Amino acid sequence: MASTTADIADLIARCALRDRQAFRDLYGRTSAKLFGVTLRILRDRSEAEEALQEVYVKIWQRADRYVPGGYSPISWLVAVARNHSLDVLRARKPQSEDIDMALDVADAGPTPEKAAVDSGERGRIDNCLGQLDTEKADAVRGAYLDGYSYEELAERHNVPLNTMRTWLRRSLLKLRECLSA
Amino acid sequence: MSDESNISGPDEDRLIAAEYALGVLPSAERDAVRARLKSEPALQSELRFWRQRLSSLDTEFAETPAPAAVWSRIEQRLFTGQARTGWWNSLALWRSVAAGAFAVAAVAVAINVTTPRPDPRAFAAELVAALHAEGSNVSFVALYNQTSGELRVTPLSGEQFTDKDYELWAIEDGGPAKSMGVIAANARQDVKISKDILVDFGEGTTLAVTLETKGGSPTGVAQGPIVAVGKATQI
Repeated sequence: MASTTADIADLIARCALRDRQAFRDLYGRTSAKLFGVTLRILRDRSEAEEALQEVYVKIWQRADRYVPGGYSPISWLVAVARNHSLDVLRARKPQSEDIDMALDVADAGPTPEKAAVDSGERGRIDNCLGQLDTEKADAVRGAYLDGYSYEELAERHNVPLNTMRTWLRRSLLKLRECLSA
Repeated sequence: MSDESNISGPDEDRLIAAEYALGVLPSAERDAVRARLKSEPALQSELRFWRQRLSSLDTEFAETPAPAAVWSRIEQRLFTGQARTGWWNSLALWRSVAAGAFAVAAVAVAINVTTPRPDPRAFAAELVAALHAEGSNVSFVALYNQTSGELRVTPLSGEQFTDKDYELWAIEDGGPAKSMGVIAANARQDVKISKDILVDFGEGTTLAVTLETKGGSPTGVAQGPIVAVGKATQI
């Protein structure tokens, strides 16, 4: 279902006013996206479901904290889902990746409609990531989209932890310069 | 984590914000940044910068429909007032309901809230709650008769255990679950509704059936798994 930015912002505002129907609509329109976030980061279906539940409880309880203009409303919702998933991920004991679950996570192709909406900002970050070495750009994307920690990034790129941190930090400074331009 | 990247000064805060936005920090450092954010507007604004820019990548999160049970749990958690007692929204409990031997019940509850007049056309206001969860072989229909103040509970199917009993509960928004007593799965019964339940009984009342030890929960608080739950809605 196509949801305009204004629709989502309106639903969040109505949630802040304790409108349950608005909350139900918001869930209907955004839960698939947020489940995509918790599932991709947590890589475990039952954990992702539990996280999704917690995320919407937070959204209901904190809807009044959304400030229009700061983020797009869907980005705000994704940020809530990402943050919660990262907290869960960082709190749990290291465990081996479930291969089957990893395969379950589909590659996300943006719809043409979304691609058009996002093309401005999206083109910008792609352009700036493109100016980094491929390996370093991959590390940034892996951290953001898959929730990889420094430890996991170091392992995946087969470099010592401190080297990884140095790499990523230098890349982030370059990225910041490019994104500010 | 030690920092050997030899970056210091204002860049350090920019990097901390970026690392926090990306999520690469270990738990303890994550908490430390979160604590600083409360009192440091410059760090907040740096975090906003990164979150806004990085959110362009959000299109890559694949939309995946969530199972319907998640929404039910959110609603129960937020709107049935059972959050503090724990048993209601325990995920483990819901899983045990879905996976357990008795599995899940489909209980249809029809509550008639008409005024006590003989005219059949007066039976206009009816409340129905369809309660279902996968896997159960238990189902009931409950019909509220306002004239008698009784809930007629009719089992449609289900197993009667020799060492356990089903217990029926009424829950008002924000309140604790109140026991309506033990119900049989093999015989129709009229449950007299006590005054303290009757006072709020109507549309929006949640009815739940749990599986308890013989004779029902000894403490007056549900202890067993929920095998069926649903909210009375007007039709």
